[in-house]
Amino acid sequence: MSEIKKIAVIGSGVMGMGIAAQCANAGFKVDLLDIVPDGAKDRDIVAKDAIKKALKTDPAPFMHKSRAKYVTPGNLEDHMDRLADVDWIIEVIIERADIKQDLYRKLAAVAKADAIITSNTSTIPLSILTDGMEPARAARFAITHFFNPPRYMPLLELVTTDATDARVREGLRHVCDVALGKKVIDCQDTPGFIGNRLGTLWIQVATNAAEDHDLTIEESDALAGRHFGIPSTGIFKLMDLVGLDLGPYVSKSLYDNVNQGDMFREEYRESKLLEGMIAEGYTGRKGKGGWYRLNKIDGQKVKEVKDLKTGEYRPVEKAKGAALAVSKKGARAVFEAGDKLATAAWEYMSKYFVYAADHALDIANSIFDVDEAMKTGYGFKWGPFELMDEVGPKWIADKLREEGRTVPALLDAVGDGTFYKIEDGERFFMLADGSYTPVVRPEGVLLLSDIKRRSEPVMRNGSASVWDIGDGVLCFEFTSMANSLDEGTMTMLGKTIATIDKSDDYKALVIHNEGKNFSVGANIGLMLFASNIAAWPQVQSGIRGGQDVFMKLRFGNFPVVSAPSGIAVGGGCEILMHSDAVQAHAETYTGLVEVGVGVMPGWGGCKEMIRRHLGNKRAPRGPMPALVKAFELIGTAQVAKSAMEAQRDFLIINEDDTITFNKERVLFDAKQRALGMVEGYQPPEEETFRLPGATGRAAIDMALHDFNMKGMASDYDVHVGREVAMVLTGGDTDVTEELTERDLLKLEQKHFVALTKQPKTLARLEHMLSTNKPLRN
Amino acid sequence: MPITDAYNAPVKDMKFVLHELWDASELSTYEGYEDASPDLIDAMLEEAGKFMKNELLPLNQSGDREGCTLENGVVRTPKGFKEAYDKYCENGFTALSTDPKYGGTGLPHTVEFMVQEMVVSTNMAFGMYPGLSHGCYNAIYLHGSEAQKDQYLPKLNTGEWSGTMCLTEPHCGTDLGLIKTKAEPMGDGSFSLNGQKIFISAGEHDLTENIVHLVLAKLPDAPEGVKGISLFLVPKFIPNENNEPGQRNGVRCNAIEEKMGIHGNATCQLFFDGAVGWMVGQPNKGLAAMFTMMNAARLGVGMQGLGIGEIAFQSAFDYAKDRGQGRSLAGTQSPDKPADSILVHPDVRRMLLRMKANNEGGRAMAAWIALNIDKSLKHADPEVREQADDFVQLMTPIIKSYMTDAGSEAANLGVQTMGGHGYIEEWGMEQLVRDARIAQIYEGTNGIQALDLAGRKLGAHYGRYLRTFFHPVSTFIEENAMNPDASEFVGDLAKSFGWLQQATGQIAQSGLKDPEEVGAASSDYLRLFALTTLAYLWCQMALKAKAALKEGRGDAAFYEAKINTARFFYKRMLPEAQAMFKMIGAGKDTIMAMDEDGFSIAA
Repeated sequence: MSEIKKIAVIGSGVMGMGIAAQCANAGFKVDLLDIVPDGAKDRDIVAKDAIKKALKTDPAPFMHKSRAKYVTPGNLEDHMDRLADVDWIIEVIIERADIKQDLYRKLAAVAKADAIITSNTSTIPLSILTDGMEPARAARFAITHFFNPPRYMPLLELVTTDATDARVREGLRHVCDVALGKKVIDCQDTPGFIGNRLGTLWIQVATNAAEDHDLTIEESDALAGRHFGIPSTGIFKLMDLVGLDLGPYVSKSLYDNVNQGDMFREEYRESKLLEGMIAEGYTGRKGKGGWYRLNKIDGQKVKEVKDLKTGEYRPVEKAKGAALAVSKKGARAVFEAGDKLATAAWEYMSKYFVYAADHALDIANSIFDVDEAMKTGYGFKWGPFELMDEVGPKWIADKLREEGRTVPALLDAVGDGTFYKIEDGERFFMLADGSYTPVVRPEGVLLLSDIKRRSEPVMRNGSASVWDIGDGVLCFEFTSMANSLDEGTMTMLGKTIATIDKSDDYKALVIHNEGKNFSVGANIGLMLFASNIAAWPQVQSGIRGGQDVFMKLRFGNFPVVSAPSGIAVGGGCEILMHSDAVQAHAETYTGLVEVGVGVMPGWGGCKEMIRRHLGNKRAPRGPMPALVKAFELIGTAQVAKSAMEAQRDFLIINEDDTITFNKERVLFDAKQRALGMVEGYQPPEEETFRLPGATGRAAIDMALHDFNMKGMASDYDVHVGREVAMVLTGGDTDVTEELTERDLLKLEQKHFVALTKQPKTLARLEHMLSTNKPLRN
Repeated sequence: MPITDAYNAPVKDMKFVLHELWDASELSTYEGYEDASPDLIDAMLEEAGKFMKNELLPLNQSGDREGCTLENGVVRTPKGFKEAYDKYCENGFTALSTDPKYGGTGLPHTVEFMVQEMVVSTNMAFGMYPGLSHGCYNAIYLHGSEAQKDQYLPKLNTGEWSGTMCLTEPHCGTDLGLIKTKAEPMGDGSFSLNGQKIFISAGEHDLTENIVHLVLAKLPDAPEGVKGISLFLVPKFIPNENNEPGQRNGVRCNAIEEKMGIHGNATCQLFFDGAVGWMVGQPNKGLAAMFTMMNAARLGVGMQGLGIGEIAFQSAFDYAKDRGQGRSLAGTQSPDKPADSILVHPDVRRMLLRMKANNEGGRAMAAWIALNIDKSLKHADPEVREQADDFVQLMTPIIKSYMTDAGSEAANLGVQTMGGHGYIEEWGMEQLVRDARIAQIYEGTNGIQALDLAGRKLGAHYGRYLRTFFHPVSTFIEENAMNPDASEFVGDLAKSFGWLQQATGQIAQSGLKDPEEVGAASSDYLRLFALTTLAYLWCQMALKAKAALKEGRGDAAFYEAKINTARFFYKRMLPEAQAMFKMIGAGKDTIMAMDEDGFSIAA
């Protein structure tokens, strides 16, 4: 099979467009074809509109607006010939087998013989889609089921059968995993595969329990919470998020397709209330509202919720109850709390457990795959088997027996053990016969969590740990709250640098962690406290200390590769800019956000923005355009919405850095990158700058004044902006003078500390810490 | 005649503090305080000083000796109290700072606090009757319904009715979550209260025709602990339709405490037996309502420390200057007399100067806080109001605790100065020791104040309260680093301030991991904080005095005394700050290491 270079997506609805955009993000040229509406003047209008809409959608399907050009719109009548050189055609059209089969016949007629065709169906079995298909085509046909939105949801269900060519299956797995960055889970060809099968059942039994036990929506959502590893969206909020109109369709289809006697058929209920809401346009967050809505009463925004009994909206109330009061103690405590919430929770979670245990091995290759699918498809912390381990499988089985219910074979097999176990740092999961097999990572996947299980850190303190990830590479992991950076982080980073410097065994450093966010930046709580007690020398030494360590990082004798994922702002961004290379996960959101809390980048962020933008060969000549760009990024606290934006527009990531799409591959890629730099490594030369000083500030001042007049910047924004401009233009200097990187760092120190003496800055810091939202004062 | 009769209200020093150290003229720029000009404030202070000396001071010793008596549920206050109380009311002292809407005079709270010092100096036991009424007024004013305010506040303002605060029960004082008094709703908006309260100051007496009790109690379905406490208003006589005392309510005094001091004030055990009450504020929010007035009450107790400290100092000095014993170590000073006055002895001077430095420093601190109370209530800019309130929150435990310790110490030093004559009843000095002692205990013991500061105020809003103190002090040190007039002080101030900063950071950090570290550091921390505050104030006062001397205005002797006292404070009192810093740094280990047996093993 030839490599996949060109992709076509048929159907430009939300899913089709999203898939096309993600393919474009990954660098593929994509044809996006849809129908020709009756009497349309522009026969490509459907696909064209989809692209236009995608460019306005937030969160954005495209990682960079320039990627929209990778998608060529077209229609299914005039442009079928374009499919002739396409390697992979993804069908994302209406969920009707006959229409799909008809399309496949048309595609087969134009596609090249070795093209792969896949469907994004979520409900129609592969066996039906390939029914009547020529065997050679069927061997190159599969289901690739993306989750919505395709850029952001990691799960991809790959459905093949024995009839599928193994090379096709592996080719798809590879492109989806490595290029598109998806968590690819093999599924059996059964209704709803894994995610929809278990997820739909879970939502059904949970809403049934709410109805049967007279729970409010607030109670239901609070009950489906962190103790079960479920995100704060709970059940009803999750439905609002996904869109209420889809649910009944998926449920009905599952009902029709599962076997007689399947638990889902017993639990399935049609909701008149829901049907009514959908009919009135209450389809969730995308519509007028859903189970929840924001209502305006007397000019006040009021959060309202549907009363399940009356069907009317009423103001949201905080849920209370014994089960919720003990929820911090975990799932078992919730089940044992003794109130009606506890009864409801056990009733529906036990059904979910039983259903997962009954069907895991019919729908997936292993319980491990089931868990991985539920985690990556729903954002759960634990899959059903991991959650059962948390509760205690034997406790569950005993309770089921007590209640006269049938105990599933897997729960029987696990006995008083657990579905997962750890031996010698290796994680094992249970097979059908009760034996265990180790979790094996695909090639190119290196997880810090695996390394942490197998070894002890080289060193650690309360803020960071350092791990040996093999081949002479150390990995520096932040371990503080939200991975904020404090004195301890800097101490440990300094020690790590010294260790590698002195060592014959270690030759490179990777900075990486598996937290939700790479780092939220400096610990501003400590800084605020120090500022409040007027401990300015301490504030300044915190700045200087960080600068010193970051400069050592930049000029040290060994390569440093930062490997971020998620949010990397403030100090978290500055650490990237002081690394030799950045191996970023595609979903990295980085920027210098300090002015939002009334301060400015102080750990070399201003200096690096000056250096990077002055060195940008694509920018207009002269220092001012570069400095204005740097000012714009820092002065308005902009955050790149993808690694690609951070690289192309922000210059935070270097031009020669590559981006990793699959989060699980980031560390491996970073390690390879670092090792590739070891041979003949030369640290960069320290740079010097000629900056305009006061003459340059005049232009920025004018812009600030203008923003102020237009109401876009408060008086204090202007004050902070001026302090930033002082640093960016080099302070009291002019172009005849040469400034070093250290000179710029000293300027950062001075103006940073000056800002921490301002009550309005301190008010911003306090507001951010207490509400997690910026204060505009 | 008791030696304490030598007292004169320190109006001169009050004026210095209000108009030279601080700028009390700012008060008259606030809405509602337009009339409070410096001249009017000064006149008020002069008048009050005379009134207290003439009317209250003569009853101080007699009131202490006679005490209160209980007969058939009726408490009689000492002879003369009733007449003095009536004059006190006639002169408007019960309504100095209260809202004119309810018949108050509407003067700044700053004036009220200065007058309170004089009341305490001249008769602490007496002062508690109107003092409690004032607390009661505040609670109703801030949390009562409009009807409650209309009904009760005018009567409290005229002094016709008095008030109490009923918190403590036999088994709980500090931990109010444990209270047992119950309030049952009667269905008509009123409640029926049942339970017992103890240590109720001014709980029953013959000064007023009615007494308004504010009572903490629990509703039938109240949550456990402090979240289940509600506040109720229980009048001794239920007001009739003309708002005059009507039917006798089910609250009885069945005992008054025999206690160490403040004998002129009735400390009562009250029984509530189906007493009719009305809720003040929201259900289960009683403690919060009580605490909004607690700040003012705690500041008032701090003023008690100052008041006792002042009269103890004046009396001790008066005695020392006339008492001849021995000869000066530097050679005879009064050859015409059989002995030199004991004022020549360094150790006597040390005692007197300690008292004086604490009194005048404490007065400066009190005025600073009082002015900020007015600012927090009346300033036009909400941000300024918030800042002022932050400052008051921060400094309240400091002034309550430090100044009551200082007052108690001053009374003891007064006894010490007088030797055996201090110890006998006749001269009135030992009464001050007994009276002062309670101020360290009630309204939250001084240990609780220290915990409030180190455990609550310090970390609140990431140290925002602290900013209101640390920023001005830091700026002051910076601005005066090169000032030759300040050079003899500012280095030591900077050191003490540095220790305070370090200790603050240390407590904030160790407290996150181990709250016991905060508890172990708290009392020493509060003292370090207070000493640094006084150092800051004494340096400023010395600078003002030096400036006045240079300009040749005012009473030179007054300013020279200020500068001398400032020097004494810096050299002979501030060094304690370093000891406090070291003790804080030692952490909790030596405090927590010993098990229970270790305490008793030696006996």
